Amino acid sequence: MSGESAEEKKGTHFQRVAALKETRPYSPCRAACPVNTDVQAYVGFIAQGRYTDAFEVIRSVNPIASVCSMICHHPCEQSCRRCSVDEPLAVRPLKRFALEKSSEYRRNKRRLVEKTKGKSIGVIGSGPAGLTAVNDLADLGYKVTIYERHPVLGGMLAAAIPPYRLPREALKEDIDDVVAKGVEVKTNCEIGRDISLKEIIANHDAVLLAVGLSSSRSLNIPGVEGPGVLLAIPFLEDVAFDRKPDLGKKVLVIGGGNVAMDVARSARRLGVANVEMVCLESAEEMPAWKWEVDEAVEEGITISHRWGPKAVRREGDKVKGLEVVKVTQVFDTNGRFSPTFDNNQTKLLEADTIIITIGQMANVGFLKDSAVQVDDRGRVAWDPKTQMSSAKGVFVSGEVVTGPGSAIAAAASGHKSAMAIHLYLQGEQIEDHLPSYEKEKIPQMPPDVIEKINREPRMPIKHLPPETRCNSFASFEFSYDEETALKEAGRCRGCGGGAVVDKNKCMACLTCQRVCPYGAPVVTSYSEIRPEFCQACGLCAPECPGQAISMVSYDVREVRDTMKEIVGPLDASRSEPLVVAFLCSHHLGVLGYRLPENVRTVPVHCTSRVDVNDILKAVECGADGVAVVQCAGGSCKYKGIGQRVAARVERARQLVAMLGMGAGRVELLTADSSDGKSYATVCNDFSGRIMELGLRKR
Amino acid sequence: MIIGSQKPIDEIWGMVKDFHKVLVFGCNTCVAICHAGGEKEAETIATLLRMRASQEGKEMTVDFSSVMRHCEPEYFVPVMDDLKKYDLILSTACGVGVNFLSDRTGTIPVYPGINTSFYGAVESPGDFVELCAGCGNCILHLTGGICPIARCSKTLMNGPCGGTNKGKCEVSKDIDCAWYLIVERMKKLGTLEKLAEIQPARNWSTSRDGGPRRVSLEHIRAYEEQEEKKTESEGGKK
Ligand SMILES: Cc1cc2nc3c(=O)[nH]c(=O)nc-3n(C[C@H](O)[C@H](O)[C@H](O)COP(=O)(O)OP(=O)(O)OC[C@H]3O[C@@H](n4cnc5c(N)ncnc54)[C@H](O)[C@@H]3O)c2cc1C
Ligand code: SF4
Ligand code: SF4
Ligand code: SF4
Repeated sequence: MSGESAEEKKGTHFQRVAALKETRPYSPCRAACPVNTDVQAYVGFIAQGRYTDAFEVIRSVNPIASVCSMICHHPCEQSCRRCSVDEPLAVRPLKRFALEKSSEYRRNKRRLVEKTKGKSIGVIGSGPAGLTAVNDLADLGYKVTIYERHPVLGGMLAAAIPPYRLPREALKEDIDDVVAKGVEVKTNCEIGRDISLKEIIANHDAVLLAVGLSSSRSLNIPGVEGPGVLLAIPFLEDVAFDRKPDLGKKVLVIGGGNVAMDVARSARRLGVANVEMVCLESAEEMPAWKWEVDEAVEEGITISHRWGPKAVRREGDKVKGLEVVKVTQVFDTNGRFSPTFDNNQTKLLEADTIIITIGQMANVGFLKDSAVQVDDRGRVAWDPKTQMSSAKGVFVSGEVVTGPGSAIAAAASGHKSAMAIHLYLQGEQIEDHLPSYEKEKIPQMPPDVIEKINREPRMPIKHLPPETRCNSFASFEFSYDEETALKEAGRCRGCGGGAVVDKNKCMACLTCQRVCPYGAPVVTSYSEIRPEFCQACGLCAPECPGQAISMVSYDVREVRDTMKEIVGPLDASRSEPLVVAFLCSHHLGVLGYRLPENVRTVPVHCTSRVDVNDILKAVECGADGVAVVQCAGGSCKYKGIGQRVAARVERARQLVAMLGMGAGRVELLTADSSDGKSYATVCNDFSGRIMELGLRKR
Repeated sequence: MIIGSQKPIDEIWGMVKDFHKVLVFGCNTCVAICHAGGEKEAETIATLLRMRASQEGKEMTVDFSSVMRHCEPEYFVPVMDDLKKYDLILSTACGVGVNFLSDRTGTIPVYPGINTSFYGAVESPGDFVELCAGCGNCILHLTGGICPIARCSKTLMNGPCGGTNKGKCEVSKDIDCAWYLIVERMKKLGTLEKLAEIQPARNWSTSRDGGPRRVSLEHIRAYEEQEEKKTESEGGKK
């Protein structure tokens, strides 16, 4: 029953709005992310220079955040709604930028979590699935022990993905977060060799198998046995652990997937000038990401398409080359993998070393004779609805059961398993209570909305030139600098972060429908805001006479409710006017401009969100002058904002004048967004005018 | 709908200055649509009053809140306990809402935060125009759908008068002559000859001179009264 926010927040409007925000369909980027990272939220924070807030959004769902910031296959980008305007947002590089910017904050946050649950869990395997589960279980207050056969934690991230793509410092940040919670780590500990599964089961209240796919598949062709023929994973492990294998002068990599790319590019970095790849698929059919292929080719790696391996030719013991046969078709008419060959066309591809990279499989020999059943094809039997294996209390997670995929998908699986274990240990039902990441997403933008969006090409990412990067395993991709990152973040349309209407407060006045530049609201007996149209500009909320509109991405009352703190203590002996300036946080960040000391800034994602009541509140809290600073120069990412905001400022001026304070205490200023200094200049000039009006009495 | 308009802050201050705990209570229907008294405006008035109080050096709490309508009890009864925490309610509903609420708040006064202007339409956003006077005896079928009671400066029943001037009223050149509009409209409708019939003097008993008007719907009241009797006999109160 009060205008003050604390009360309002307890009120039913706030609850209704919170529920509305919860049920709003996700932005496509968020829906596409296997752990539903709220991309628009953190990119929005980046655009405002709020890096630690961005970190919190990212880390809240993703324990392998730094890893993903380097190597995620970013399905978010592939589904970005900006694709229909120009190019997708550079989500992954922005994540990297935000994490690097907040690394100190992150390190200072690491804390031991108290073990409150009195139960212990053994997690086997420390890849993304295991690590994520450990993270969640530690947060819930369980005692957790990780068993890992490698000398370091991280699974494939540590043992297979080459460091030129994933610098180990990034991985370390993620692992340190988890271990700091107070987790027992047993590395160099292989189940089945150093300790039996039985013992682990006996030592813990629940066990998680997150052992991934740690064996490489080989080929059943003549000559394959013997020196000079390597398998991908052992080779990559050698690379990862700095055991430099001798490869000779020419390396041939069999396979056309991403792992094959890593193998070939690693061989190149081991000093082999002549690296060739051979795969069944044509360039278009190749399963590797196009960018990986392009980068490999830049590095001088050649690819023979549509050839199948027939036999390894040797001279004595030594490998001479690979005899290959022409592929006539890779997929059958139903799109199933079913290669056919023309045996009349064969040739010899010369090589000193051949590396077979045709897929991975689980190595679950240690489960033999245990309570955990394995089918004849070597797959662990499990129930996806409970994440449990055939043995009670033994759960499974990650690629060992889902098959090959991405690191972040394995992390999602880890979240599910952690929840399953928690429910199991609390004696609660697991089925139907596991998190689901299958979410409804908002549709693509309608054509008339696309037309209203400025074309702004994606900010390029700098790479080391191929000649330099081939010489070492150092990371070859540069991070965005701040200016570029902020520009890129500013391209995000904030999909799904837009307006929602509290039906109980809407009186169908049509105002929102009339003001929206994108035609999002449709008012019948109440207003419904169509999320596919809404650009989250925020223009409508301050116009709604019933205060029925809120925004998914921010609290519309926040500015008013925190104005006292923004203004700060009032100094009766001040010699300069206290000015409150509302200005675009994006340009504040991009231009990094400094404003005069006497100006209290209220960064807003756009002046469109400034409410008459925000302005009045600033005056109430003691401001001598209040400025709303618009960005000129066509840099605003929204259309049709200016006139509305001007009208609000005019209204606030009239109201202030009614109180006898002089309309001049409130002004609309315009700064040139291509000139950072102009923001300070217009604020300074305004301060001068306020001095003429006089300081307000305290 | 009912159109309201804002009162000068000085006038409101005059009303509230001797109170200590004031609630600006918005009404989120008609007067919200015309941007006079919805929750947003209630917040604005509350802020202005706090500022005024501080200018005058007065200790005063001013909060705001709103409900959908002040003219039906179901909307405000649930928050009655909260309303009673204040020593003045400044309602930004139309006069109907102020009257209605005031009858039900016991010892707490309810004052008008806005002026109730007229019944009107939204000609275009932010532009409201009076089109009906609520006279209680509608004759729009005789006048081409244009109300001479509300729109003719002299409420003539047989017009236009001699003051009509190129479509404007003699009272002001900014006022359209309602009878000019009526004639033009009826020409279009092909019913001009109806105007030849002289309308008798109006029976004003349905309008402003018989005390407050009331409309009672038999079919609804019959049932409601029974229910009310039942609760009364069960010791409940109306
Ligand atoms: C070369 C390569 C490149 C890749 N590149 C990318 C990429 O760019 N982007 C991306 O998203 N994904 C990539 N992936 C996929 C990603 O690494 C996997 O999806 C992910 O690691 C699977 O996680 P997991 O936890 O299920 O298993 P893993 O990461 O395989 O972890 C399983 C762990 O269990 C341990 N383990 C197994 N058996 C035992 C045992 N008996 N005792 C003790 N410990 C045991 C293993 O040592 C390993 O550490 C790549 C994979 C490979 C191989
Ligand atoms: S524009 Fe932003 S919010 Fe929209 S899909 Fe792309 S990254 Fe997500
Ligand atoms: S502006 Fe507010 S009250 Fe009016 S239709 Fe939109 S949501 Fe409803
Ligand atoms: S005005 Fe802006 S925030 Fe409101 S519905 Fe339209 S696009 Fe969305």
